[in-house]
Amino acid sequence: MPGRAVWLSTLLLAWAAPAAAQLISIRTVPISQDHQFDLFPSLRMAMGGASIALGDSLLDPFMNPAKGARLRAARFFGSPGIYGVSSHAGAGRTLPLGALVKSGDWFGGMAVAAQQVDMSQTTPFFPPGPFLLCAACAGQRIDVGPNPRSHGNAYAFAMAGREFRDAGLSIGGSVSWAGLHAIDGVDLLYPASARINQHGHALDLRLGATKQWAGNRSLSALVLHNRFGTTHDVLYLDQFWDPGSQQFGQRPRSVENLDQTNTWGLHLEYQQPLRAPGWRMGWIATTNLMSHPKIPNYEIQNIPRDPGNSEAFNFGVGISKIDQASTFGIDLVYEPIWSYTWADAATPVDRTAGGTIAVGGKTIENRFRFHNAMLRMGFGQDVELSQPTKALGLQVGLMVHTINYSLAQRDNVQGTSRSLDEGWVEWTPTWGLSLRFPAWELRYRGSVTNGTGRPGVSSGDVSVASPQASGNILVAPSGPLTLAPVRVMTHQVSVSFPIR
Amino acid sequence: MTRIRISLWLASLALAACSETMTTPDPPAPPTLDAQLRQAIGPWGVVPIGAMPAQNPAQVQLGQALFFDKILSGNRDIACATCHQAQASLGDGLSLPIGTGGSGFASSRTLGPGRRFISRNAPSLLNAGLGLYQLFWDARLSRAGFETFAVDSGIVLPGMPNILAAQAMLPVLNRREMRGEPGDKDGLGNPNELAQFSDQATTEVWAAIMVRLSAISEYVTMFDAAFPGRGTSPPRFEDAARALAAFQMQAFTKTGSPFDRYLDRDDFAMTTEQKRGGLLFFGKARCSFCHNGPFLGGQSFANDGAPQIGPGGSKAAPLDLGKGELQSFESYQFAFRVAPLRNIELTAPYMHSGAYATLEAVVGHYNDVPLALRTFDPSKLAPAVRALYHGDAATISAVLATLDGRLTTPLNLTTAEMSDLVAFLKSLTDPAARNLISVVPARVPSGLPIQE
Repeated sequence: MPGRAVWLSTLLLAWAAPAAAQLISIRTVPISQDHQFDLFPSLRMAMGGASIALGDSLLDPFMNPAKGARLRAARFFGSPGIYGVSSHAGAGRTLPLGALVKSGDWFGGMAVAAQQVDMSQTTPFFPPGPFLLCAACAGQRIDVGPNPRSHGNAYAFAMAGREFRDAGLSIGGSVSWAGLHAIDGVDLLYPASARINQHGHALDLRLGATKQWAGNRSLSALVLHNRFGTTHDVLYLDQFWDPGSQQFGQRPRSVENLDQTNTWGLHLEYQQPLRAPGWRMGWIATTNLMSHPKIPNYEIQNIPRDPGNSEAFNFGVGISKIDQASTFGIDLVYEPIWSYTWADAATPVDRTAGGTIAVGGKTIENRFRFHNAMLRMGFGQDVELSQPTKALGLQVGLMVHTINYSLAQRDNVQGTSRSLDEGWVEWTPTWGLSLRFPAWELRYRGSVTNGTGRPGVSSGDVSVASPQASGNILVAPSGPLTLAPVRVMTHQVSVSFPIR
Repeated sequence: MTRIRISLWLASLALAACSETMTTPDPPAPPTLDAQLRQAIGPWGVVPIGAMPAQNPAQVQLGQALFFDKILSGNRDIACATCHQAQASLGDGLSLPIGTGGSGFASSRTLGPGRRFISRNAPSLLNAGLGLYQLFWDARLSRAGFETFAVDSGIVLPGMPNILAAQAMLPVLNRREMRGEPGDKDGLGNPNELAQFSDQATTEVWAAIMVRLSAISEYVTMFDAAFPGRGTSPPRFEDAARALAAFQMQAFTKTGSPFDRYLDRDDFAMTTEQKRGGLLFFGKARCSFCHNGPFLGGQSFANDGAPQIGPGGSKAAPLDLGKGELQSFESYQFAFRVAPLRNIELTAPYMHSGAYATLEAVVGHYNDVPLALRTFDPSKLAPAVRALYHGDAATISAVLATLDGRLTTPLNLTTAEMSDLVAFLKSLTDPAARNLISVVPARVPSGLPIQE
């Protein structure tokens, strides 16, 4: 990863498990954030997230509420998890608690989660103070102290559905809400800032249906609407020359950056058994239509953007085999994405070649074309322990995610064009352990994601173009940025009890 | 089953191969012009200028009156504003200024009988109050401690709030600029009492000026209002200097140029041509080697190979050694203060000798300094100073012998690049500096004419 040029960051976040295909994330920098939103217990995440041809009775109701019909009994669960980024570049702790219930043909569930996320930027490029604050700023009562070490997020989820047994049909709806004050890694995107205050929310509405046919074939459909909106209040301390004191000073500058994306999605899943005993196959197809009313002007990007829209798709196939005590699954997913973003002229702008771009006209246009691919595979083995009602399960897996994109940029002011090709590979070994007792179940899963990076984590390999060179005079970054490689380690323990 | 395994293996292989190609990124595309320019500016300490705090209104009013009042000069025939004219962007439009004894105004000003040109171009006072480290072409005035400034001639000026106030103490001492020569009479036939003191009697000269001012009741009132805590002690010339500085800081600070707005993060403040010129300024053209810091200059000195024009200094007349007049180090010979560049478009002619009338000519000079010096065309100078051009081979060799090392190699700028560079220099102009006529008062307390 050292030496890799990073040019643009578009981070679209969704409160969803990383392997879930319903919401497609778009990333142009290898800063991984999925682990933060990986809240709920899962049978298959320890197997690399292979899930196209495998059911995941723990996670499925959160992804498609219609799948809550597969619940056999009401259960209470808790799934505390932690993650940490190497080089002390971030960490988080989450405590989700919830219950899934079933009564006759009706089913439902709710969950809440509290999360604490540590800031990533452990060593600010320019630690605030001591400094000479401009005299005119003294009365503004601006808190220029360092960021609090941690911020908290809150999550809530509710779902309900009904099963129509005669028709082999179940339907369900869910609503998720997240109150966000910390999204992992966002502070890294403003490396010359003195303080960042994030606040916002995400709302996710889903309506799903599942149809079962004879022969254990099933088709699931999901319509979703996701609204993500956060605000980054970024405080900079800019150096300036103070004619009053006749020396250099620093003055605070607050920038409000909005990060808004609205998504409409349609997701289809199909599974059926193969002829060979125990083997199943499945496919998925997903469409996400996204509008980005406002994309943040991240400091580490040097390509102006304002609003935009995206069309993201994925198509995947998977096969699985469940033997008596062993489980195997593999998914292959192709993810083409088209994104179009632009910068609006806030004032009339003269073109180099003559003419003027009116207010609201496009000064710069960016067209991204992604070809992403995913491989998810895993193996699980259950071992019956001495008591027949107790079983030990072991899972291992691997998730490989390749992101590759090209950017064609048109500068309508200068009348120039430029292009860029970028790509990287993230690979995540996973493992898990489960203990099943007659009445309750204990699971542990872990993963380590490699191939991601963090700007400014280690001094050895990092070259931040403008901030280092300019001493926060002109903090708008320019030129390539290199990222230091980091690993993201996650651990989750989940326990579930029957509700009697 | 075997087919499935083979298929999986092939799929993994394909993915791995795909990954291998993806880990080899293409060469990065060039950053945008703004990104390049902001990165180019970064290392040079060029930061935005904050707002000038409002000055004491009574001091500003007093300073304005003094700035335009010829009573400060020995012969009552020249004011600060004579060589720093509002109509000429606070310069005088001349290559070399004409001091006491001269007549006329602005570029039509002519020498008086028996008088000589002042050795160096009158610098504009635009933004002179921002807090420059050194003043005068030979940088002879500089900070020596807290509220203390020193002149290389040995004069120490304690208790001055800023360098501009310290500077205001000095022109009244200079015989050729304002004080006059022994035996001079003013326009009314009165003897010039300021000229009778020796050159070392600085305190006496300042005191004599204050005697003049104290005889005018309007000035007494203005001094009382501007410096109310003085008690019964009479005002001192230091107070007059403070008031002059307050006026200049209030009226002559002009930092609203497109480049300043660009520094304040407005990407659209500058034209593309100006941005290209900026890239050259902070890059290939090497201008920022000297013109850097918050003022784009003003904090160092260099022998830039400017043509030698004028009566010269005291050491090697008719040549002017610049900083070398004050100190003998070889590198100081022909070295002059690097001019701060904000509003440079408005302050022609340029260089310490006023050798060039246009920015194009200045950029041409720096494009190949040795060639420009050898081929300098004095016919473009005003007739009165043309004869004072020293273009002999010995002089040129002497100047080039200590030419700043950063200027010995031609820049090889193209015509288009030089045009871009000039465009950038014009982006340093605050539109508010284009017309300063509003700072000229209708009258001054002495009743002397403001303009002839």
